[in-house]
Amino acid sequence: MTSRREAVAAEIPRLRRYARALVGDSSEADDLIQDTLERALARLEQWRDGHNPRKWLFSILHNLHVDGLRQKSRRPPHVGLDSLGPDQSAPAADGASGSDLDRALQQLTADQREVVLLVGLEGLSYAETAEVLSIPMGTVMSRLARGRDRLRGLLALGLENEAEPAGLRRVK
Amino acid sequence: MTGARRISEAELHAFVDGELAPKERAEVEALLAAAPEGLRSVRGLTELNERLARRYAHVLEEPIPARLAALTAKPRVRARLSPAWARAAALVALLVAAAAAGYLVRDFRGGNGGPQPAFVASALSAHQVFVPEVRHPVEVGAGEEKHLVQWLTRRLGTEVRAPELSAEGWKLMGGRLLPDRGQAAAQFMYEDASGRRLTLYVRKEAGLTDAAFRFVERGDFGAFYWIDRSLAYALAGRLDRGELMRLATSIHAQLGGVGSG
Repeated sequence: MTSRREAVAAEIPRLRRYARALVGDSSEADDLIQDTLERALARLEQWRDGHNPRKWLFSILHNLHVDGLRQKSRRPPHVGLDSLGPDQSAPAADGASGSDLDRALQQLTADQREVVLLVGLEGLSYAETAEVLSIPMGTVMSRLARGRDRLRGLLALGLENEAEPAGLRRVK
Repeated sequence: MTGARRISEAELHAFVDGELAPKERAEVEALLAAAPEGLRSVRGLTELNERLARRYAHVLEEPIPARLAALTAKPRVRARLSPAWARAAALVALLVAAAAAGYLVRDFRGGNGGPQPAFVASALSAHQVFVPEVRHPVEVGAGEEKHLVQWLTRRLGTEVRAPELSAEGWKLMGGRLLPDRGQAAAQFMYEDASGRRLTLYVRKEAGLTDAAFRFVERGDFGAFYWIDRSLAYALAGRLDRGELMRLATSIHAQLGGVGSG
């Protein structure tokens, strides 16, 4: 049992990264992780030893996230395009482009955001993503294409002030 | 006869996400060669993924909040074992492992080690960002290894070499130059037959004294880092710790003669 707990604990950084990008707010993201861990630890016997618990944990997180959205019948916070400008305060280390990205992500539908992040940020395969979200692969692919299109469109609008030529990496 | 067919949008995404079988992949690559707008999309999608990775990478490095860490801490058993006993056990296990590997552990300061040198975070981030990269995992490929090594040696200002790991089943893919706190750093990338990737990060660390292997875990991958004659190394990969240790040992042995000191 201890090794299972350790395996779950080892996933916390990845879960937190995903949740942060998914809900946008760090304490709300950690609330979601807390609920995820509590539910996972109460059902440790549900995944077989020797397997990576990541997919299982992501699916628990997904279910809780969806439940939370339903309960609060909370829509993704609406942010007007005019507030996407770089004047919004952002964590200093990430600069304006980071907060643009946060806001643009929050403008996707929750369905699109999950797929874009599971594939694009967490590197899950389409099949794994389909499994985590309990949807067909075709749905993963269509949400991914729509979500990425929308995200790129939003970023292009908010990015007039960000000069980041392709090939140049920002040095933090 | 058959004009070049168009690449579908779904194919472009699948290409960027590494979802295509080798044959389909080769086909899309061939089509892309003559499809500038397709290439633009590929680049745009890749950049989007890189941006997401850059934006949220720092979350992986944040300390885990106590309320979360407490949840997965060992239940009950903890009450019976005194922390001192646990620390001693951890120390013994670590010394045994180190002795088995033929290294003396220096600068050991308890269960999780002392402060981590700054280059480790850079190495882990670089690993995270470039390992999933499908199209441009390296800047200069292994085909131009001589050029790569000369270039990195010149930019780092010290002799740099790509260790040979083919006996262990790892093939050099190439490398890249990276900025790290105002200095140049190098990353070599290796791949094994199953497509797993390994990176070796190297930079000059004139200010730090030599240090034996230390292990750090980040998300789903681990890294061993060490400092040898003013060069800092970090070997990172999604491997089990023993396997990573064997590779680090081999690299340390190979590169032991390198470095101007």
